[in-house]
Amino acid sequence: MDFNTAAETNIFDRPKILGKAVPRRDGPLKTTGRAPYAYERHDVAEGQLVGYPLGSAIAKGRILSMDTEAARAAPGVRAIVTTLDMEAMPVPSEMHTAHLFGGDKVEHYHQAIAVVVAETFEQARAATALIKVEYDADEGAEFDLLAAYEKMKDTPVDPEVSKGDFETAFANAAHRIDRTYVTTPQNHAQMEPQATVAAWDENGNVTLWTSNQMIQWAKKAVAKTFEMDVEKVRVDSPYVGGGFGNKLFIRSDVVLAALGAKAAGQPVKLAMPRPFVMNNTTHRAGTVQRIRIGTDAQGKIVALAHEGTSNTLPGGSGEDATNQSQHFYAADTLLIATRLAEMHLPEANAMRAPGEASGLMGLEMAMDEMAEELGMDPVQFRLVNDTDTSPATGKKFSDRNFARCLTEGAERFGWENRNTTPGSRREGDWLIGHGVAGAFRPSPATTSGARVRLQADGRIIVETDMTDIGTGSYTIIAQTVAEAMGMDIEDVEVRLGDSAFPVSSGSGGQFGAVSSTAGAYAACTALRREVARRIGHNDADGLSFARGNVTAGAKETPLVDIAPEGEIVAEDKVKFGSFRKDRMVATFAAHFVEVGVNAWTGEVRVRRMLGVCDAGRIMNPTTALSQVIGGMVMGVGAALSEEIAVDTAKGVFINHDLANYEVPVHADIPEQEVVFLDTLDPVSGPLKSKGVGELGLCGVAGAVANAVYNATGVRAREYPITLDKLLDGLPEV
Amino acid sequence: MPLTFRLNGETVSPGDVPATTTLLDWLREARGLTGTKEGCNEGDCGACTVMVSDDTGHRALNACILFLPQLQGKAVTTVEGLSGPDGELHPVQQAMVDHHGSQCGFCTPGFAVTMATAHLNGRTDHDIQLAGNLCRCTGYAPIIRAARAAEAQPVPQWMTPSIFASQISSGDAPQARGAESPLDAYRPATADELARWYADNPDTTLIAGATDVGLWVTKGLRDLGRVCYLNGISDLQGIDIGEDEIRIGAGVTLTALREAIAPHHPDFAALLDRYGSVQVRNAATIGGNIANGSPIGDSPPALIALGATLHLRHGNARRSMPLEDFFLAYGKQDRAPGEFVEAVTIPRQPDRLRCYKISKRFDQDISAVCGCFSIRVEDGTVTGARIVFGGMAGVPKRAAAVEAALVGQTWNRKTVEAAEGAWEQDFRPMSDMRASAAYRLDAARGLLSRYLLEDLGTPVRVREVAP
Repeated sequence: MDFNTAAETNIFDRPKILGKAVPRRDGPLKTTGRAPYAYERHDVAEGQLVGYPLGSAIAKGRILSMDTEAARAAPGVRAIVTTLDMEAMPVPSEMHTAHLFGGDKVEHYHQAIAVVVAETFEQARAATALIKVEYDADEGAEFDLLAAYEKMKDTPVDPEVSKGDFETAFANAAHRIDRTYVTTPQNHAQMEPQATVAAWDENGNVTLWTSNQMIQWAKKAVAKTFEMDVEKVRVDSPYVGGGFGNKLFIRSDVVLAALGAKAAGQPVKLAMPRPFVMNNTTHRAGTVQRIRIGTDAQGKIVALAHEGTSNTLPGGSGEDATNQSQHFYAADTLLIATRLAEMHLPEANAMRAPGEASGLMGLEMAMDEMAEELGMDPVQFRLVNDTDTSPATGKKFSDRNFARCLTEGAERFGWENRNTTPGSRREGDWLIGHGVAGAFRPSPATTSGARVRLQADGRIIVETDMTDIGTGSYTIIAQTVAEAMGMDIEDVEVRLGDSAFPVSSGSGGQFGAVSSTAGAYAACTALRREVARRIGHNDADGLSFARGNVTAGAKETPLVDIAPEGEIVAEDKVKFGSFRKDRMVATFAAHFVEVGVNAWTGEVRVRRMLGVCDAGRIMNPTTALSQVIGGMVMGVGAALSEEIAVDTAKGVFINHDLANYEVPVHADIPEQEVVFLDTLDPVSGPLKSKGVGELGLCGVAGAVANAVYNATGVRAREYPITLDKLLDGLPEV
Repeated sequence: MPLTFRLNGETVSPGDVPATTTLLDWLREARGLTGTKEGCNEGDCGACTVMVSDDTGHRALNACILFLPQLQGKAVTTVEGLSGPDGELHPVQQAMVDHHGSQCGFCTPGFAVTMATAHLNGRTDHDIQLAGNLCRCTGYAPIIRAARAAEAQPVPQWMTPSIFASQISSGDAPQARGAESPLDAYRPATADELARWYADNPDTTLIAGATDVGLWVTKGLRDLGRVCYLNGISDLQGIDIGEDEIRIGAGVTLTALREAIAPHHPDFAALLDRYGSVQVRNAATIGGNIANGSPIGDSPPALIALGATLHLRHGNARRSMPLEDFFLAYGKQDRAPGEFVEAVTIPRQPDRLRCYKISKRFDQDISAVCGCFSIRVEDGTVTGARIVFGGMAGVPKRAAAVEAALVGQTWNRKTVEAAEGAWEQDFRPMSDMRASAAYRLDAARGLLSRYLLEDLGTPVRVREVAP
C-alpha cells in the first residue's frame, strides 16, 4: 500500500473497535508471570548453558594480557572466549558507535572483554572472577563534559541552521536573555536487563531469542558483526521488558551469547547484570545548552539561538538538544548549533525522545525566564509565539493544535489562580509553585509490513516483526485488524517480534504505532481483495466487512465460509510517500505542574500534574494514556532525581544500579491528569493518528523546574533539581 | 533434617545446594518458575517479590536476596501460585489487567505478589505497601487504581491459609552440619545455641535478614565460608514493653519493630515506613542494622536519640553499652570475635522524638541525611537534648556541641540560631553522590529549625502535600 496522499474518509472514521479502551491483550499473561522474556526461553533450545560477561576495568587503553587458566579449570566451565581471541568484530551498524567485542582496544569502562560459559550461573560467575587481566590504561582520556565545554565553548562552529541575522536581531531586541542549562547523563533503567539465548545449528544458522525493539535492525546487525549471510540469522523477541531506546540495537549480550554458544557447541543464555547494563550499553548523553532569546516589546521572538553541547564517544552523535528549537516557536531569526565533546564514557545513544527530552528541559526553562523578563504570563508568551510553520524549514505543520493544548490546559488546571510572585505562596511549611511547559516531538512514520492469515474457522492470525515493548502493539494491531476485517477482536491473534515475520517499523522514535497499524491495515486490504475474488468480486471497496461477515449487495457470506479448505494468506506493507515530508508532522502538548517545596529543607514534592496532548486519532485511550503518564513520571525523574554520576577521573558511571540511579517511586507521584485533544492528522497515515510514546516525556521536566522556581524564587539551571541547589536561596521563613 | 519448605502448596527439599543459593536463582533455574523476575539482584526493584508465610503471618520478600536456608519450615507462594486451580486470576491480577497496571510486564509479577500479600493481610496503604516495587512504564497511577479496585474483592478460596500451613514438624530442630557438607549452614533454634556455637566458631558469617549480606554474595561475589542463619531463633525475636524500658530482640524485623514502636514513638514508625521497602523491612532485623555498622543505617540515629542501650553476648558473658559507643569508626564496631548483638533497650519516656529523613526520592532511598531529635523542654527551657545524625560522619553520631549549646537555654528561634556555629564542631561530613558536605550541614541546621517549628505548632507533612 502506498500512502501518497492525505487520507480521505475511510473505515477508521466510523470505528467500532479502534479508539476504544480495549484492555491489553497480554495483560493476563503478564500478571500471571507466563509471558516469556528472553532469559526464560528454556523451551526453545535443548541443553542451554549459562554465559557470564566480563567487563573492562579501565575506560580507555589496551589489554596486554588475559590469564584464563584458573577460570578454565574452575568447576563446570565449558568455554571461555576473550576479546584477545579475535580481531575487533565489525561495529554492528552505522547507528552503533562502540565496538561490541574483539581486539585489544578498550573504548569505554565495562566494554565486554570475555564471556565464560558454564553449566550453571554461579559457576560461570565465579569463574569469570578468576580471569586476570593486565591493562595499559590511557591516561589522556576525557570524562568531564563540563570541563570539555569550557574548553570548546568559545570556538566558533558552523551553525546547523542560520536564518536571518541572529546576532543583529538579538543585539537590537527590546528584551533578551542569555542563559546556560545543564542536563546530566541519564539511563533508560528499563526493568528487564538485556538478555539473549543463542543457538547455532549444523548449517551455521544462528537463532537469537533476545529482548530487542527493532528486529530487522538486530538481524542485520548480527550478520554484519559476525560477517555472515543475513539469511542465516533469526531473531525472536515477542516480549520485551521495557526498552526506551536501550534495546534499539543489539548489545554485547547478543554477541557474547552467540560467541559462547559457538565455542561451547551448545546453546547459551546470558543476561546482563544490572551494573553491566549501566556501563556496557548506552545512555542519554549529558548536555550543556546555551540559549539566547530576544523579543520585541510585545513579546514576539525576534531572535532565538540554541547551542547544544553533548558527550559522545569519538564518531558518535551525542544528544542533539536543539532540534525542537528549529521548529517549535515562531522566531524571526534563528541560530542553531551543536558541538560534540568527544570523550571516553560509554556510548551515548538514543533514549526515549532523544533530543527533545533534553532540549525542552533547556528551551522551556528559557521560555519561562523570557516570559518573566517580559512580565508576561508564560502561557500567553507561548501563545504569542505559536506558529503554523516551522521557522527553520518554512514547511507547514500538517496539523498543529498547540494553542488549544495551552488554553484548554490553563483552564482545566486553574492557571488563573496560580502563584504569580515567585516564593510568595505558603501553605504551612510548604512553598507552593506552578509551572507550565510546552512539548514538541516529530511524529515520523516508516515502511511497515504484516501478514494476515484467515483461518478455516474464520479467525485471523496477524504476523509482523513489530515489537511490543510495553507500548500496547499487540492490542492496537488487533484493534486495527478487527476494524478492517469487521470482526470481533477475540477472533484476531497477533504474533510479534519474530524475524521470520514480515519486516515492520519496529518500536522507536514514536513511529511504531502509526507505522505498524498502517502496515497491518495494508495487509488487511490485500486480504479483503482476495476475499472479494473468492466470492466473485473484483472490487473489494464495494464490499462491506462487518460482524464477521462480508456483504456484497444483498449477499452476506460469513468469513468462516471463505476458506474452508485452508487458510488464505495476504501480505503487504505500507510505504509512506514523499508528500509526507513536504509537511512537518509532529505532536504537541502543554504540561502544567504544581509543586510544594519545603521551606526548611528544600524537599520538592510534586502535587499535581496535567498534560494536554495533541497527537491525532488516539487508537486506544487506555494504552495511550499509560504511555503519557509513564512519560510524565520519567519527566519527574529527569527533573528531580535521575542523574548518572560520572567518576571524572576513571570514566565510570558510579551509580550503576537501581538503588542509586533513582527513578521515581510510588510516593513521588501524585494523581496525574491527561487530556487528548480530539484531533485527526490525515497527512500522518491512513489511521490519521500520531505517536504519543515520547510526547509524554517531552516538556515535563521543564514544567516541574518552572514550578520549583515559581515556588521558591530560586532558578536552578542544572538538572536534576536536587535540594542542595535550592537551599541557599530559599526565602526567609 | 534436610532443608524443607512449601512451594505453592507442595513440600520441597532442594537437596545439597550451596548455603548461599538465592531463592530467586533456585526458582528460575532449578524449578523453571520464571514468573519471578530478576531486575536488579539486590533488592531494589521488587520484580522478584514472593510471599513467605509462617505461623506469624504472610510477608512479601525479595527472592533475590533471600537464601534458601532462611526458608526452613516456611511456605513460599510465587506468582505462579496466585491463580486458581483452573487458571482463574487472583483479584489483584484481574484488577491489574482491568486497570492497565501492566505494560512491558517485567515488573508485573512482583507487583502482583506484593499486592496479593497486602490483600491477604487486609492492607490498603498502597503507596507504602508498593514502595518496594519499581515500574518504569506505567506511571504508577494505574497500579494504585488496581490495588484499590481489588480491596473489595474477597480473598479467593484457593488462597486459604491451609495451603500455606507448613507441614513440617516444629520438632525438627535444625542440625549443625559438617564443614565438608555442601550445605555448610548452621541454623540454631535458640540464643543459647547460637552463643555456644558462635563462641567456638567466631569466623562464621551471621545472616539475619540478608538484606545486606545478600549483596555481599550477589554483588560482591564473596564466598561467605561458614554461615549461620539466625532467623530460626525465636527467643531473639521478642519485643517486651516493660514499665521502665522497651526491650527489642536482635532478630526483630523492622516491620515488627515499626508496629511495636508506633504507639510510643510515632515518628520513629514513620521513619521506618521509609526504611527500604516493605520487602526489605520484612527481612531486615534491628540487630543486623546495628551490627553491620553502616553510617547510613536509619534506625541507629533514632535509637540513640531515644537513649538506647545495646546488649552484647559472648558465650554466657554479657555486656551492655550506650548504643552510640558501639560505633567506633567507619566499618569498625565494638564487637569481639564470637560476640553478637542480643537486644537493644529503650528507656520509657515521654515522646519527644522527631525523625527526619532526607533523600532524593521518597521511598527506597539511602538517606543523604537522617536526623533524629529528642529535646526535653521544661517551662520553656531546654533541659536535655539528644540530637543524632546518620550520613554526617563515618558512624551514626550525636551532635554533642549543638546539644550543649541548647541545654539550659530558652527553647526558641534565637537559641537555635545561636547554636549555628556548633554544627561545624560536631560534623565534618563528606561530599558524595548523594549530597555535598555544605548541603548536609545546611540541611542539618534546617532540620533543627523544623523540629522547633513543629514543636511550636506548625504542621509538617512531607508525604502528602495535597492541595
